[in-house]
Amino acid sequence: MKLALFTPVPPERTGIADYAALLLPALRERTELTVVKRGSRKPPRGTDLPVYHIGNNPDVHGWIVEALRRSPGAVVLHEFALHHLVSGMTLARGDVRGYLDALERDGGLAARLLGYAVIEKRIPPLWENRTVDLPLAATVLDHARGVVTHSEYVGMRVRTTGYDGPVFVVPHPAWTAPRVVPADVSGEPLIAAFGHLNESKRVPQLLEAFARIRADRPGARLLLVGAPAPNYDVSHFLQRLGLDGDGVEVTGYVDEARLWSLMTAADIHVNLRSPTMGETSGTAIRALSLGKPLIVSDLGWFAELPDTVALKVPPDESEIDTLTAALELLVSNGEVRETMGAHARALAESKHAVGAVAGAQVAAFERIAGGGPVADELLAEVSRAAAEVGIEPRSEDAAELARRLSEVDLGA
Amino acid sequence: MRIAVCRPQVPFAYGGAEIFTDTLVDQLRARGHEAEIVSIPFKWYPATRVLSQALLWRLLDLTEVDGQPVDLVVATKFPSYVVRHPEKRVWLVHQFRQAYELDGTELAQFDARPQARATRRKVHDLDRRALGEATRLFAISGNVARRLESSTGLVAEVLPHPPQPLAYRCESYEGFVLSPSRLDRAKRLDVLIEAAAIDATLEVVLVSEGPDRERLEALARARGLEGRVRFEGRVPAERMAELYARCGSVYYAPVDEDFGLGPYEGFLSEKPVITAPDSGGPLDVVSDGDTGLVVPAEPRAVAEAAAWLRDHPDEAAAMGRRGKALAEAITWDGAIARLLG
Repeated sequence: MKLALFTPVPPERTGIADYAALLLPALRERTELTVVKRGSRKPPRGTDLPVYHIGNNPDVHGWIVEALRRSPGAVVLHEFALHHLVSGMTLARGDVRGYLDALERDGGLAARLLGYAVIEKRIPPLWENRTVDLPLAATVLDHARGVVTHSEYVGMRVRTTGYDGPVFVVPHPAWTAPRVVPADVSGEPLIAAFGHLNESKRVPQLLEAFARIRADRPGARLLLVGAPAPNYDVSHFLQRLGLDGDGVEVTGYVDEARLWSLMTAADIHVNLRSPTMGETSGTAIRALSLGKPLIVSDLGWFAELPDTVALKVPPDESEIDTLTAALELLVSNGEVRETMGAHARALAESKHAVGAVAGAQVAAFERIAGGGPVADELLAEVSRAAAEVGIEPRSEDAAELARRLSEVDLGA
Repeated sequence: MRIAVCRPQVPFAYGGAEIFTDTLVDQLRARGHEAEIVSIPFKWYPATRVLSQALLWRLLDLTEVDGQPVDLVVATKFPSYVVRHPEKRVWLVHQFRQAYELDGTELAQFDARPQARATRRKVHDLDRRALGEATRLFAISGNVARRLESSTGLVAEVLPHPPQPLAYRCESYEGFVLSPSRLDRAKRLDVLIEAAAIDATLEVVLVSEGPDRERLEALARARGLEGRVRFEGRVPAERMAELYARCGSVYYAPVDEDFGLGPYEGFLSEKPVITAPDSGGPLDVVSDGDTGLVVPAEPRAVAEAAAWLRDHPDEAAAMGRRGKALAEAITWDGAIARLLG
């Protein structure tokens, strides 16, 4: 089967470009694959299925959505909240009506009115704080012949938009952990959180739980690794909790080599996220590859991780207590850390193995590309035979046929 | 119990699966059950025909017949296991192999076009659903069970069945190697013939028929092996038992066989079996150095294995006896007890 892939690829510096680069060789082993040039409007002639990688950045994915609109195909949906993408492709280009229509599609007239308020600068932009209830994914999914997501959660959210095409959940592939020297960072134990620092990462909660742990374990250390969001100031949290000594280190952005090195050094990886729109965490996947025990928020994609690899913390009123208990368990019990780490590595090497993921993705693409015609042909054959023996379209016999087809998923 | 044994039937063809299911019905009847074959002709091409053929099975109502309940169905091969029944037992002979391990080989059915690819995936989905409905799921061999698990995630209990009833016995360990396989390419009989060409002391007897007979006979002639490589064709049961009773070893090295009764028949005659690491089903019972020799399916390796067994009759006999103990443990009494249990 011939696929045409519309995706960012390195040297573009996005997680989705890295994802594509990781999977491309394994996909090429299984299909005839063309990666189309950035800005292309159409798939090459003879393509059986164009495949579009969609994320939320309009600069990276705008051209891909435009191509999708011209030639519907499979969508690999990396993020469900596409508000920034849609606003960037409409409002930012002067297409006010397009933006308002997308808002109304998600949230009815009230959302449209909010859009007017944004345009008149009466309220802050909705892509800054309303992407959870106004993700604007539906306007993109309208053109999808099928959707591939990384999580059941996003698959479910896709369905709630009214999308009625095929949806497949294919795990995110895991990187092979590079052989790196662990960073020379002290900490008994060393706890670390990786990724951009922003409101959704539950930093105050993590710091408070860590402060409680450190009260009994002065050797414990917490690393916050990743670029902070603009105007996101971690230091005042640290001062408030008295953690601005050497107990916590905020590294800022680190390059990939340093990231792996720090990840390898850390004993416990904490990956909290709330709210979440079901996005997969690349740093959590890396932790699996490294065989590190995880503490995650109990929602979205994170909630789908097996309990054997991650302790899960609901983002509720007891969040800090639960998080403290989870940290205490892992800090105090090296055997639990090792067991969870072994399960994590096994998960990365099985469900998240690049070959397994590529195989599952190709299976999904094959179903998306040919599933409709197969169902049509089968139904035509059955209908013909039914008509030839006198079964009327709305008869009980026809209903029986439909039931049996449906039971084994042989219907449309 | 009233039991329907379900099998697809390729009209005018009668092979291992048909013998197996007919024997199963006989054995069920011999134990007081009312048993009957339920069969639907199977045509697997063009590609989407596979799915409509499966639907035929789905449309059957085997819960009762003529006012009498059918207590249990035993489905065997694709697509018979798509049948509906509240007590569906599957004794899996094989899935639709063209949709699995044969895909991409010269025996492939589904080409690279999207519709063919999607049909293949539909077969996968159908298997997962229909086999997942079984109240008990058995496979005739470890190889079939492994393929099932790797393709669908479903776990089957391995339940082999006994070979055909023959007057199995051991009379001697004569110098010849017996091949009981059907003469087709997948059985790799050319390897055995080439082995005889390498070792001028080796004698081979091939029984059975098959589409590859002409080529194999031509190969034997070309290597000047007339007299040492003998084609006996299909032989009566009595002759078959006699050949097993007198041979020195049994060659059975097909490519990725589902099950393979040859080793069991050889073992019941106390003969060691030569097979290959990629032969599939036979490896359930042929262990290298224990009940036979497992060697690469290459002429020199097979020639050396056959010569070693011939030149070490005590060791060969011991292997055969150990094989016999394995084969004797597989009985219809035991198999049916598990199937209906």
